[in-house]
Amino acid sequence: MSIYDLIFYLFATLTIVSALMVVSSDNIVRSAFYLLATFFGVSGIYVLLGADFVAVTQIMVYIGGILILLLFGVMLTSNITNVEIKKGTAKILPAVIGIGILLGAVVSVMTRTKWKIHLTEIPQTTSFELGKLLITDYVLVFELLGILLLIALIGAASMARREQE
Amino acid sequence: MIKNYFKNTWEGLYTILIGMKITWKHLFVPSVTLQYPEERAKLPERARNRLFLNYNDCIGCMQCAAACPVNCIEIETVKGIPTDMPDPTSKGQKKALWVTKFDIDEGKCCFCQLCVAPCPTEAIYMTDIYEYSEFDRDNLVYNFASLTKEEVQQKQDNFDKFQAEKEAQKLEAAKAKAEADAKKAAEEKAKLEVKPSNDEKKED
Amino acid sequence: MQNYLIEIFGSEIVAYILATVPVLAFIVLFVLFAVWLERKVSAHMQDRLGPMRVGWHGVLQTLADFLKLLQKEDIIATANDKALFNIAPYVVFVTTLATFTMLPFTSIFIGSNADVGIFFVLAFSGAVVAGILMAGWASNNKYSLYGSLRSAAQIVSYEIPTALVVLTMIMLYGTMSLGEITIAQTSHFWNWGIFGGPELGLAKILLVPFMFVAFIILFISTLAESNRTPFDLPESESELVAGFNTEYSGIKFSMFFLSEFANMFLIGSILVIFFFGGYNSPFGYLGNLLGIEWLIPIEQLLWFLGKGMFFVFVDMWLRWTLPRVRVDQLMTICWKYLIPYAFFNLLIVGLILLI
Ligand code: SF4
Ligand code: SF4
Repeated sequence: MSIYDLIFYLFATLTIVSALMVVSSDNIVRSAFYLLATFFGVSGIYVLLGADFVAVTQIMVYIGGILILLLFGVMLTSNITNVEIKKGTAKILPAVIGIGILLGAVVSVMTRTKWKIHLTEIPQTTSFELGKLLITDYVLVFELLGILLLIALIGAASMARREQE
Repeated sequence: MIKNYFKNTWEGLYTILIGMKITWKHLFVPSVTLQYPEERAKLPERARNRLFLNYNDCIGCMQCAAACPVNCIEIETVKGIPTDMPDPTSKGQKKALWVTKFDIDEGKCCFCQLCVAPCPTEAIYMTDIYEYSEFDRDNLVYNFASLTKEEVQQKQDNFDKFQAEKEAQKLEAAKAKAEADAKKAAEEKAKLEVKPSNDEKKED
Repeated sequence: MQNYLIEIFGSEIVAYILATVPVLAFIVLFVLFAVWLERKVSAHMQDRLGPMRVGWHGVLQTLADFLKLLQKEDIIATANDKALFNIAPYVVFVTTLATFTMLPFTSIFIGSNADVGIFFVLAFSGAVVAGILMAGWASNNKYSLYGSLRSAAQIVSYEIPTALVVLTMIMLYGTMSLGEITIAQTSHFWNWGIFGGPELGLAKILLVPFMFVAFIILFISTLAESNRTPFDLPESESELVAGFNTEYSGIKFSMFFLSEFANMFLIGSILVIFFFGGYNSPFGYLGNLLGIEWLIPIEQLLWFLGKGMFFVFVDMWLRWTLPRVRVDQLMTICWKYLIPYAFFNLLIVGLILLI
């Protein structure tokens, strides 16, 4: 086992344990902070996969953006500490069935896919290729996403404005 | 409106630069602070600080204690006797009293300097010492009287003795006077009686 | 540097870990110096002298203070969220330290010449917010919480103009790697970013004013991101005691302190790398002149530190010039002024680069 495997397992455990803590924690704020560790672990795994741009985007968008937004939301809500959070199992049978199907699907995909394994060359830089692809092959998706974000932005601005009147 | 926007931007940046110019100039203005224990500000000529008593000059007239508004001067005196008089002051004024106690509570003193003016011998005055903090408040009571306890006791005894002697002398003197008076009276009487004979003698 | 270390130790991991040691040492030494400088600059700008006792003109004062901080009792109040309270300073410090790994100090020492460079720096300086929010929340103190919320709002909003300007500069250089950006500006000072970048021609001349605008926008927005006066609302002493680090003492407080000053240098060096040629000397090197190879990296290091320190000094200078802005002014500056300017700047620079 090389040291990179060790690092991978470190990040994987971090991700899984903190993800478990997110759902099982009593305190919403704590859950949000466990999410930080989860995101971080995921980005670490991205780095090990040679996807440095995606890893940094993960940190930028999820930690720097979404998590902060989440925390803001949580902290600005009144009555967060004494609210009762339901964590018990409510409907055990449907849950087990649902999860079973999902697990089966994932496992079957994992075993059936013919993974391309190339040990030697890991692309050194991904951002250049990524940028090229985004602006050539996937330009429609890219533009649509841009428009979607713009709509969201305009919507947010107009909502903020309406309250003032 | 758009013109205003650019004007605002320009003014914002420009005024910041003006401010920065001012602070830049101040970077080279010599410092106004002093490195205190090594450097000290020059005291004004008539600064009021810690009081000092030139004990040798004090004649114990208690004018200073009377003038003090907070009663922080305590003076006790004993009269001197002719054989054991205190030395005169440096300016030659005669002292009649031994100052056995002269305490100034510098903790109480409010630096009004009212005690300095009435002193006839200029024995009490302000110095330029202003750092005299103490850990114990009692240490702020300054004892200026240089007589030891024994000396004070001795002066007191001396005075008492002198007083007693004087009293005795007085008594004696009174007695003597009485005797003398009596004698005189007797003599007078005798004179009166003898007078004629005197005349006779004169006549002789 | 890394290759050399890998050769010595035979293991990449050990080499990478060792390569961060100089960075860490640099941060600590820099902070010791910068705190002293800050005190001196502020004192002299107010016609005072500042620390004078410990060492020559008080140079060792911060060392003494640091030792004092180490000895201080580590106070944790009963109502604090203990785990988060203990982790927060380290989250803040580690994320700040992580950004330093991307800086090219000289041509032979750069923590990691990863291709994502500046993007990584932006991402991690955004992640600092998480640590700050953690500290504010865990302190269970209303001032701390206000401070951290303000800080988060401020950093998140000023990230936008920063990102826009950074995008402009990436367009100019065609790479995100800070090392390559620096290399692009070698040889003469008219190759520096502020003078329109490395290529000669009409575009270069046209670019100069827009580069200047970009520089000012980046300077203001990074200043705001590092929570320095006039944007020090998160720790405004007059309103919030000390903001998110009110409840901290001892070594944990010094972690926040270290990362704040490290951030100052970071923003200075980002400006230097983008606009002032990074470690490049404007006049050529003494090492070249004398034919001494090993002198060049040292000179480069000195140039880099010197330029970085200059911007740190300008930060301090601004600190003692300007009063603190109000929250609404803060947001006005960002959303109504910096972002539109940065956006139009981006468009215009893009157009110029196209022709
Ligand atoms: S200065 Fe004023 S308060 Fe002080 S001892 Fe003299 S009379 Fe009293
Ligand atoms: S007024 Fe002067 S002479 Fe009189 S008791 Fe005071 S100090 Fe002594």
